[in-house]
Amino acid sequence: MSSGIGVPVKRKEDKRFTTGKGKYTDDIRKDNQAYAAFVRSPHAHAKVKGIDASAALAMDGVIEVLDGHQLTGDGIGNIICGWAVNSKDGSPMNMGAWSALATEKVRYVGDAVAVVIAETQGLARIAAEAVEVDYEALPVIAHVMNAMTDGAVQIHENAPGNQIFDWELGDEAATDAGLAGAAHVTSIDITNNRLSPNPMEPRSAVATYDDAEEHYTLYTTSQNPHVARLVLSAFYNVAAENKLRVIAPDVGGGFGAKIYIYPEEITCLWASMKTNRSVKWTSDRAEAFITDAHGRDHVTTAKMGFDENNKIVGFKVDTVANLGAYMSLFSSSVPTYLYAPLLSGQYDIQNIHCNVRTYYTNTVPVDAYRGAGRPEATYVVERMMETAARELGMDPAELRRINFVQSFPHQTPILMAYDAGDFPKILGMAQSAADVAGFAARKAEAASRGKLRGMGYSTFIEACGLAPSKAAGSLGAGVGLWESAEVRVNPVGSIEILTGSHSHGQGHETTFAQIVADRFDIPIESVNIVHGDTDKVQFGMGTYGSRSAPVGMSAVVKAMDKVEAKVKKIAAHTLEASEDDIVIEGGEVKVAGTDKAMAWHEVGLAAYIAHNLPDGMEPGLKETAFFDPVNFSFPSGAFICEVEVDPDTGETEIIKFTAADDFGTIINPLIVDGQVHGGVTQGIGQAMLEQVIYDDDGQLLTGSYMDYTMPRAADVPSYDVSHMEDQPSPNNPLGVKGCGEAGAIGSPPAVINAITDAIGNNDLAMPATPQAVWRAIQAAKPVAAE
Amino acid sequence: MTTINMTVNGKAVSGDVPDQTLLSEFLRENLRLTGTHVGCDTSQCGACVVHINGKPVKSCSTLAASLDGADVKTIEGVSNGELHPMQQAFNDNHGLQCGFCTPGMIMTSIDMVERYKAAGKDLTSDAIRAELEGNICRCTGYHNIVKSIEDAAAKM
Amino acid sequence: MDMTGEYQITAPRDVVWTALNDAEVLKACIPGCQELEKTSDTEMNAKVVLKIGPVKAKFNGEVELINIEAPASYTIQGEGSGGIAGFAKGHADVVLVEDGEGTILSFTAHANVGGKIAQLGSRLIDSTAKKLANKFFDNFHDYLSNDDSEEEEPTGQ
Repeated sequence: MSSGIGVPVKRKEDKRFTTGKGKYTDDIRKDNQAYAAFVRSPHAHAKVKGIDASAALAMDGVIEVLDGHQLTGDGIGNIICGWAVNSKDGSPMNMGAWSALATEKVRYVGDAVAVVIAETQGLARIAAEAVEVDYEALPVIAHVMNAMTDGAVQIHENAPGNQIFDWELGDEAATDAGLAGAAHVTSIDITNNRLSPNPMEPRSAVATYDDAEEHYTLYTTSQNPHVARLVLSAFYNVAAENKLRVIAPDVGGGFGAKIYIYPEEITCLWASMKTNRSVKWTSDRAEAFITDAHGRDHVTTAKMGFDENNKIVGFKVDTVANLGAYMSLFSSSVPTYLYAPLLSGQYDIQNIHCNVRTYYTNTVPVDAYRGAGRPEATYVVERMMETAARELGMDPAELRRINFVQSFPHQTPILMAYDAGDFPKILGMAQSAADVAGFAARKAEAASRGKLRGMGYSTFIEACGLAPSKAAGSLGAGVGLWESAEVRVNPVGSIEILTGSHSHGQGHETTFAQIVADRFDIPIESVNIVHGDTDKVQFGMGTYGSRSAPVGMSAVVKAMDKVEAKVKKIAAHTLEASEDDIVIEGGEVKVAGTDKAMAWHEVGLAAYIAHNLPDGMEPGLKETAFFDPVNFSFPSGAFICEVEVDPDTGETEIIKFTAADDFGTIINPLIVDGQVHGGVTQGIGQAMLEQVIYDDDGQLLTGSYMDYTMPRAADVPSYDVSHMEDQPSPNNPLGVKGCGEAGAIGSPPAVINAITDAIGNNDLAMPATPQAVWRAIQAAKPVAAE
Repeated sequence: MTTINMTVNGKAVSGDVPDQTLLSEFLRENLRLTGTHVGCDTSQCGACVVHINGKPVKSCSTLAASLDGADVKTIEGVSNGELHPMQQAFNDNHGLQCGFCTPGMIMTSIDMVERYKAAGKDLTSDAIRAELEGNICRCTGYHNIVKSIEDAAAKM
Repeated sequence: MDMTGEYQITAPRDVVWTALNDAEVLKACIPGCQELEKTSDTEMNAKVVLKIGPVKAKFNGEVELINIEAPASYTIQGEGSGGIAGFAKGHADVVLVEDGEGTILSFTAHANVGGKIAQLGSRLIDSTAKKLANKFFDNFHDYLSNDDSEEEEPTGQ
């Protein structure tokens, strides 16, 4: 099979992208199109005392200026968080009201208060500048640790002390007892730096309204157009679902930032009705920094206890998470159910307790960014293991190895049931690829040049394939997390796959086609993938949480099962054989062991002509399936990072980065490797370069690529990537586990463990910029003499 | 308003544009050549790179009115029926994922390879990474972009 | 950010004080000031063009003189909105001490900016604010030394 499962098929979608023919949202231009520009608060926290749009409205080419009072007056609903998390005392989370256009108060720099609709984008922006908003500045909470102080200003009236919830997972008493009896306890304080996702395509929306049909169409940069339509209908009351079509065309990267339904999409839809014009808005990068949901931003203290054999006897974690000014769509789940249940890592730990308090601040809302909760958990666990190994005087790989989960299935004390894996084997693969044995010599050689070499590990696990709907529902999710697919065999035998997964860089047009080509043994060119359009695809929960392969492809497989059954019935009937003897191979549907066969396309034709079908069989050959996973999938991996630090400047070079992963079955190694490369680079970005910084007044200081350091080609190395495929997931038909987030989840601790190893000071926060590393080297100097 | 005449992808084009119109806007909005992308506002990301008179330029920070008589090549003008070796190499080596930075990457890379070849210099992977200083990709981690450029350099 | 400075001015304290309370003088000395209109003895409306890094905007705002201890000290404070570019606000405590025939003018100032001007220009705010403060007092010094000097608009480019 030249294009089946496991083959590095070159991507089918590349031609349009390499020739400039991709169709992104901002490339769309409708007849009668006008442009939106938002009037945004320059204050982090202020009362809105009045809006004077008269000067803007007087400008030629300005069609309309709309504000939040008009929006709420038209019944447009508040933006909601779709995952209900209760505090440990049982009280519900304190969700503050979030209107797409603020009315009484603005709560972060960038909060929109009005929108200008004009004939051109330039005019809209100039007119937005002429809208005068009278603000009364209020005290600002720019940093999460200031949100909880006595007398802190209240950001939302219904969130006393700015707390959203105080949540826990695990048995605190048992964990305390475990720690009390420990032979050694390691403590760490960890900050997980705040990041901006920065897909290269800025968000964009084009909304059209058909007044005759009272029907809306929204083209938008979304990872999940059906979820967008559902939320826009059910909660924001923009239009009924049957009166709203959402299309996510080519989307230039997501990384979580394009999951959510933002104020801009809501406003553009509503404004298209108000003005009876198509309304386009395209973010610029400066706007993206102050409107796209940020990620991470945790402050954590943790304690881990070990017995005299260095086995873990207790792990206690206390985390404060910053959710920004409003609760974004999945914001509550990220520091809770996507975080705490991963704190067991790859280790057999009987006692774990995690407490998470979340707070409002006057900053951009915080939600899922590639990895979402799991990078934060992995960073705590893997920094802890490395720190403990140093304190215990153990080889960090050995400390991990003796604590690994050894048998599967493995039930952790914090919800998760690991289904399959082989952690020692993966670690061994990484160690040989990284030539750990030769490290001492390399370190000595570097020292002879005055450089400091270090090596750091990260052995991590993720929970992907979101998610069993029943389990998600019991934990507060507002939606099911299944996926759907339709397999449509045309009368000529070509196939269209309609999937609710959405590709925004993942290469679904190739990999989804591969599993079909593999199954029916037909050329991959005969298979097309249809996605991203609510009018075409039955339904879908979209792409995030490394779910497209374990959940989205599984739905395709289920639908193919149904197609195959029908194909076999038709062939058996036509060829006068038993269904059980029919095999599909080589482009034919044939009776095994005979020369009786139908070409694949003849079966398709027979199904649609319907002249000779078995009695009672419906004509046609298309099947739909919904797949609801029975468990998460658990990709795991071992990363080893080797760095060289210049002690005079703190400049750090990654000499080698080795990634060994267990993603279960690999559909396309070319694409899977690419996902790892990109994920690891984002993780290195977090570890060494990236940080969103607000000043004490809540002003964003890292609001452009001049100040927010995106990883560039010279900042990162080429990678050594390998995969273990002999522990497929037992919980989906392909045995896949998901590969989209592993790189971003596993890499930050490997980098920081390596740098701290090199410089001999464990006290180093992300991002480890040259300045931070240099300071850590200086701080270690008085005690560094050996 | 300024009237401009230029050659874009071998064809003579003209237009009346406001003086502040950027080349990227002119290409995308007036000529509807939407392969040239805009990923930032500060001339950092390189998604908008085109060739002007044979040199790579960030079209988001170039005024269209300043280019009267110029010869402009965009991503749409790179392939000549068949894919350019650089375009083919990006496909062969999985040098793109979401595709948004790709046009700028390819325009930068074609110039890079041609410049090194003309100067008789060796285009090492370190040199490629340094040359990509003005182009940001968020998806690929650059690993396969570097491979793509090495591959194309061998074939160009 | 906070700034301090001290200037030796070759004019008696009364003259300096009068100039510091003269809207025309202030207008001539505030860098980028296009309009300064007195609305009361201690309040003025101002239009100032400010450029920080890549952001240039016209700020409309109010300037007020408070804590007046004639002729020894006052606080001049201002707050302006630059529309989509954001806002700027600040105040300076100005103290005049007689020094023989001349006067020593010292100030401590604090300034804030917000919105796009902070987002894109943050790295340049400190240095720009220092430059603007120095420019004001340089202008002021020059003005008193040469009463009918024509002031350039230092940030108008």
